[in-house]
Parts: sequence; C-alpha cells; structure tokens
Amino acid sequence: MGIAANPLSNTAQPESGVLAEPEIRERFFATRDAAAALTLRSQLVDSVVRERWSWMPAGLAIAAVGGYGRRELFPFSDVDLLIITPTDHSEAAIKDPLAMCLRDLWDKGLRISQSVHTVADCNQIDPANAELAVSLLDRRFLAGDQGLFDQIKDPRPELGKNIAQLTKERHTRFQDTIYHLEPNVKDAPGGLRDLQVLRWFARLGAGDAAALPDSKVLFEIRCFLHYLAARDDNKLSFERQDEIAQLSGAASPEDLMRRYYRAVRSIAHLANRRLDRFEAKRSTLFAQFRDRTGRLSNSDFSIVHGEVLFRAPASLAADPGIFLRLFDFIAHHDLPLAPDTEERLEQSAGTFQFWAESHQPHWPAFRNILRQRAASRALRAMHDTGILEALFPELREMEALVIRDFYHRYTVDEHTLVAIQNVFSLKAKSKDMFGDLANETEDLDLLVAALLFHDVGKGDPGEAHVAVSRRIANEALHRAGMGEREWSVVSFLIGSHLEMSAAMNGRDLSDPSTIREMAAKVGTVERLRLLTLLTWADISAVNPSAMTPWRSQLLWKLYSQTYDELTRELSARIQKPEAASNPALAKFLEGLPPRYIRTHSEAEIAEHLRLEREGGYRGISVTLTKSAAWVMTIVASDRPYLFAAAAAALSSFGFNILKAEAFSNARGTAIDTFAFADTTRNLDQNPADREEVLTVVKRAIKGEITAEQLFKRRPKVKPDPHAVAASKVSFDNEACSTATLIQMIAQDRPGLLYDVVSVISRRGANIEVVLVDTEARKAIDVFYVTKAGNKLSAQEAQDLAAAITASLKPVG
Amino acid sequence: MKKIEAIVQPFKLEEVKEALKNIGIDGMTISEVRGHGRQKGHKEVYRGQEYNVDLLPKVKFELVVPSTRLDEVLDTITSAARSGRIGDGKIFVYDVAEAIRIRNGDRGESAV
Repeated sequence: MGIAANPLSNTAQPESGVLAEPEIRERFFATRDAAAALTLRSQLVDSVVRERWSWMPAGLAIAAVGGYGRRELFPFSDVDLLIITPTDHSEAAIKDPLAMCLRDLWDKGLRISQSVHTVADCNQIDPANAELAVSLLDRRFLAGDQGLFDQIKDPRPELGKNIAQLTKERHTRFQDTIYHLEPNVKDAPGGLRDLQVLRWFARLGAGDAAALPDSKVLFEIRCFLHYLAARDDNKLSFERQDEIAQLSGAASPEDLMRRYYRAVRSIAHLANRRLDRFEAKRSTLFAQFRDRTGRLSNSDFSIVHGEVLFRAPASLAADPGIFLRLFDFIAHHDLPLAPDTEERLEQSAGTFQFWAESHQPHWPAFRNILRQRAASRALRAMHDTGILEALFPELREMEALVIRDFYHRYTVDEHTLVAIQNVFSLKAKSKDMFGDLANETEDLDLLVAALLFHDVGKGDPGEAHVAVSRRIANEALHRAGMGEREWSVVSFLIGSHLEMSAAMNGRDLSDPSTIREMAAKVGTVERLRLLTLLTWADISAVNPSAMTPWRSQLLWKLYSQTYDELTRELSARIQKPEAASNPALAKFLEGLPPRYIRTHSEAEIAEHLRLEREGGYRGISVTLTKSAAWVMTIVASDRPYLFAAAAAALSSFGFNILKAEAFSNARGTAIDTFAFADTTRNLDQNPADREEVLTVVKRAIKGEITAEQLFKRRPKVKPDPHAVAASKVSFDNEACSTATLIQMIAQDRPGLLYDVVSVISRRGANIEVVLVDTEARKAIDVFYVTKAGNKLSAQEAQDLAAAITASLKPVG
Repeated sequence: MKKIEAIVQPFKLEEVKEALKNIGIDGMTISEVRGHGRQKGHKEVYRGQEYNVDLLPKVKFELVVPSTRLDEVLDTITSAARSGRIGDGKIFVYDVAEAIRIRNGDRGESAV
C-alpha cells in the first residue's frame, strides 16, 4: 500500500484556505492538538472528494460516514464514503463513472472504503447489517443531490441493542479488561470505539453526549501512533509509550499511561453502565430471585430489580453518613448499586470528603464494612464512585498507577482490589489449605486494611515502596481512629508483605535457619497466618496465572514449616520472659512454653493475667466470649481433672468442642481455652443460659458435680460403626524432650474429649499441653503427657494408647 | 555440541544464572517444574496430620554449549547449585545433532 503510506502528501491539491497534509502534521507535532488536526484533515479530504465529485453525473449523492463523517479523520484511517442512489436500476448506469471516480480518489492517496446503497436500503434496519445503520448515525452530506441525502431517516432506538451486542463481543476479544499493558487505543474496552458507542447511545436517547468523560489524551495518542507508524496502527506498545511520552511532554511513560488509564476507565465505566440497560432480559428464575431481594429494603435504601437505590436522594446533603451505611448494606447483602445511585455518589464525592474530614473517626464504620461477606464488592463500588478516595485521599496515589514490567498485568489500584477479592474468594473455598487459613483468622478486616495500603507507596519514585506505604497507612488509619493493637498488626503486614515471597524465591526452605528466621520475623501464629494469606492474595493479583501450583506449593511449605517451628518448642520453658518491663506479667509468663506467647495476642495475655488476679488464691475464673465460635477461658489454680471436668461440662450441654488448649505456668496457674460450636444457637438467643454454663463449669471443676451427673444431661448420640475403624492413636517419645506425645485422630462426637482426657487422668498421667482440632468432623488431638514429671516409658505409652483406643467407642 | 539439562532447587536459580553469566554463557531456557527423584517426595506433618508431598518444586535450566566448554559449564552449575542436602537436583547431558538459527538459517555452533 505504497500510496496510502504517504497520504495526500503530493498529489492532492487543496483549495485555497485548506491546509495540506505535511502542514497539518507539523502543526500537530507542535501543538499536540489532535482535535484540530483531525478537523483539518477532514476539510482537506472534503475538498479533494468534492472537487472530483463535480465530474460525476447528476442524481446521486455522496456522504461521509464513520469517523470521517464525524470530522475525526485520523491520519491513516480509512475514508468511509457512502454513495446514495435513487433506485437499484440506476446503479448499473453509474457503475463505470463511479469506478473511475473512486480510482482517482485512491490515486490521490486516499484510503477509500466505500459502500453504495439506495435510500430504501439505508432506511431499513437489517439485523444482519447493523453496521450500515450504525455508520449512518455519523452521516454527513458531501456533494451531489442533497434531496436524496435528506431522505435518509435516523435509525430507530432499537439499534441500541445491536450496538450493545457488537460492543460486548468486542470487549470479550480484549478479556473485558482495560488493563492491558500494551493496549489498543481504538478497540480495547474504554478506548475510542467505546467513546463513540456512548455518543451513539446518546443519539438514540440514552445518556447525555455533552457529559462524556474527557478523552483528549486518547485522540492525541492515536494521532501520534498513526504518524509514527505511518499506518493505521492503534496498539500502544512499550516502544511507542516511550516515544509518545517524550513527544507529548509527559513526565515519563508511566505518567502518560496513568493519563491513558484514567481516561479509559471513566469511559469504560460509563459504557458498561449503559450497555447493561440494553442487555437482553435474563431468565425468569433470575428475575424472581432479583425481585425477592426487594424485601431487604429498609428505611434508608430500597431495592428495585436487585439494585440498591436511595429512598430519599434529596436528603443526601443533609446526611452524608448515609454513604457508609450504604456500603455496609451492599457488603452485607451482596447487591449492586443502581446506576442512578452510582451517579449520585460520584457527584457527591466532594461533599462527602468535606463531611468525612470533619466527622472522624470512620474506622469503626469502615471496619464493619470490611467484616461483611461481600466486603470486596463494596470496596470496588466505593473505589468506582470515588467514595473510597474521599474517605482516604491517600489512596489517590495509586489510582491508575502503572508498574512497568512484564509480570504485572494491572495498575496498582486494580491490583489492590483484585488482591482483596482474592482473600474473599479464598474464604469461600472449602477443602483448600489456604481457604482454611482464611476461615480461621479473626482479623480478616485488618488483613484487608493492610492490603488496601500495601502498595500505595509505589507512586513515590524516591524510596522503597514498603516504607512509604507503611508511612501513608499510618497517617490515614490513625486519622480514621484505628486502635494501636490493630495498627500494630496492619503495620506488621504492610512492612513484611514481601518477606515471604522473598524467602520462597531466594532461600532454602529445607534449611532450618531459614525457617527459624521466618518464625522470628512473624512471632505469632496469627501473624504468620495473616502474612501467608496476604502473600497468597498479593501474588495471585499480579496476573491471572501468577499463582502457579509451583509457587503455591513453595508458599505452603514455608507456611507449614514456620507454623511447626512456632508451635514446636513445647519443651522449652520460658525462663526469662522478655516482657520484663511489667514485673507482674513477667512472673505470670514464667514457666509457660513459648508456644503460649506465640499463639496468644498481647490483649489475650493481659486478659489471662487479669483473670488470674480476679480468681485469687485457689480461685477459678471463667469467661465466655463470642467471636467466630464461642470461646470459654478458664484461669484457675491447677488441680487434677480440671481440663477433663471442663470438657465434660461443656459437652453436657451438647456443645461441640472445636479447639482446646491447656497451659500452666510455674506458679501453678492453669490457662485452659475451649472454642466450641453451639449448633442450636441457644447461647445467642438466651443470654441467661450463658450464666448457667459458667456456673456448671465452675461447679464441675470444683468437683461439686460429678461426671456421672453430667453424663445424664448429655444428649444421646447414635453409635457410628465406622467411628472406631476410622480412629488412630499413636505415641511419640522422641519429638519432645520432656513429655510423651499421644496423637489421636478419631471421628468427632460430643463428649469425646472428656472420655479421652479422663482415661489419661485415670492412669495417673498428667496432661501438660493439649492441642485439640476438628477438621471435617474428624478430631485431631495431640496430648503432651508426663507421669511424675517425666516421660512415660514405652510400655506405659503403649498401654495408654491402647486404653484410649478402647475408649473411643461411642457411648450409646 | 551438547545440550545440558539441569534440575536444581528453586532458591538456587539466581546463583546458577549468575555463575553461568560469569563464564560467558548467556543463552538458556529456564522453567518452573515439579517432579520427584529417588526420594519420591516426602511426608510432611501439619497439625498432627501427615500429608504426602510427592511433586517438589524445582527449576529446570536448558542450554546448549560447544563440546569443548562442556566440563567447565558442568562444574559451574554443580558448584553453584550444591547445598549438600538431599534434593539438590540432577544434571543430564545430551548430544546435539544440529542447531539452526531460524532468523537467518545459520547452522552449527554459530547458531547457538
């Protein structure tokens, strides 16, 4: 296409007053005014076409359509021409003169793309040729019979459906994302074609053409692309990003791309919203479900067709706090915002920011949003409408920020939201190792807060982003009223968010020193869990295939080995606790295994100390709290059967013990915790029964109620013939230097723990530590057992294991 | 010409790459692979439950070198990849019949 490669440069002689191509190009490179260049080019082509058309026979008309019709003729775009004939009969008569005309125009350097139609063709919507109807939306009379041209009618609004269909197909070709590293500025979602779709929709009555997002940068980039490549090339490759950044005066290629993404994002957002209006009706089942959600409406919000609307939009200004309630509502019910709601939020983001600045703290309300099941949906909606950035203006630093490497697929804000989404999708996974972690942690809200800020420092070119991110988060979250305990977790997570991936990729995971170092860095099991989840979510959000089974396995290995390291040192007793600043605390910690410190937060330890004091000499303090499950904490002077009695008392109520731990310190205080499930939700509904539970547990520990009396209350369980077959009891005398490990895997049932523990106690053995866990209705219990302060002999251990096996038979 | 296939521990990737670069070997293909050798994976215990890890993550280097440089390259890889523990990996050497540079049709060692 030698001619097209040199458009209009030599042969086309413009009329006076019309600029020639080399001058248009020169002017564009000097001013970067793409709109002016495109208009000038259209004028130039108009003059060439009109001049040649004057030689054509009468009775025909020629019109400009497509981009040329809009006077947006890019340097190497096709010149779309529509030739209108009165009837089919006349077409044959004009064939020869028309062929000569088009050939001449081609020879003048125009890349012609023509179609010949009768008026009747043009006025008929043919689903098979929607493209003709669409192109007619941009028709512009050039020359010939104006009367003929005027007979073409505007297409009917139904055309919107065809446009929506074509647009969706095009978006699918680009994986429905605007975040391509080397995007096609014309066809990719949010590109110039989408802008055009929005204009067409406006012509068809949907939306306002005057209120379209600013797209100047897209015109400028595409114009540069054409001139630089000297062909119709719309792909913004890395090389072109460098060249155009320089030519357009951008500070850097990243800066150029930031402007690009900002523009396409608002276009794509608006286009998707409009597309939904034209979407074909979905199934009736879906409609039924959708309409049922209407019942969730409350005094603030109504739900119409499954979308959330404000009940009183006019009162938004008076009560901006309703914004946070709105996102709490959608996070709770997992519902989308109605387009009207989104538009109102966008318009009020400024007002909201002004209100938010003077109505701190927002952390409690924001944390409630993060704790809901659809929190990631709510965060995305907050980001899309600018409310998130109004709440935390610091987050604007990462908006549309490009990290330029071949590994990252998304801009930083998108990466962040995808990472948060990943955390919630993990939570929904069952039978997944990482999914279990997500369900075990109680600080998911803090993990999400850390993810929200973990890369925010990437906008700062000067420093390593980890430190900057932490500094920004510190300011933003403290301003919002986050407490110190919460901040210490978030600060740790942001500060360490690269540690695990660095160890995975660069350290020998079989080397004990690697694992010891990691254990020292994380300090507690809960922090290890959170950091593992953060690492998983972060890597998975780099691009859709970044979390390969290969990486996942390395991360799991690092997690499980560090977990073992943190929980392993049961034999080592704390001699000189580091918390020496508080003498009372130091005294309390003496003799407890490091595992105790690593598996309990500072707040929990402080609470245990308080309970010990409250109980006094030979006292018993018992508390009951509710988090993910009910948790009973007993702090009491150690005595025989303490753990067994408590376990029996709990199971007498029909509670299912999920986890239990027992510790004791040097001065003989036992700290036992039981996490249990109350499947009948009795404790939730009858607060008075909580007192009853506490009383029964205390009396059982004191020996005022015997196990037999408790058994009478216990709900009967149907014997399961497979239970014994599935169980396995083993012992290990090597793993720990001071105690014998008895490990048991058995079908779980109410009262199981009591039965096993009383077997151990009856044999005169002392339970030092017990770790109880339940997975998939299987109890996995490990007991650290001693007799008279020493390990059991091999024979004793074997007998004990056999006795436990015998006791596993369910009580019928 | 010889083709060298070296399967090494993931954390040795940078070290091996660097060592090869230092003796002037620039061309190589690296892939993330999973597999097991004679140990057939191993058992790991997590929360008292044993589970089998039968496919272990490794990194595979593939490179073609002139026969005259074979020993030097093998020594370099071996010393860079060695930690002395089980699972350090394996190296395989193959004869290469021909090498062709697709762009210009160059053949033989100059194409490598």
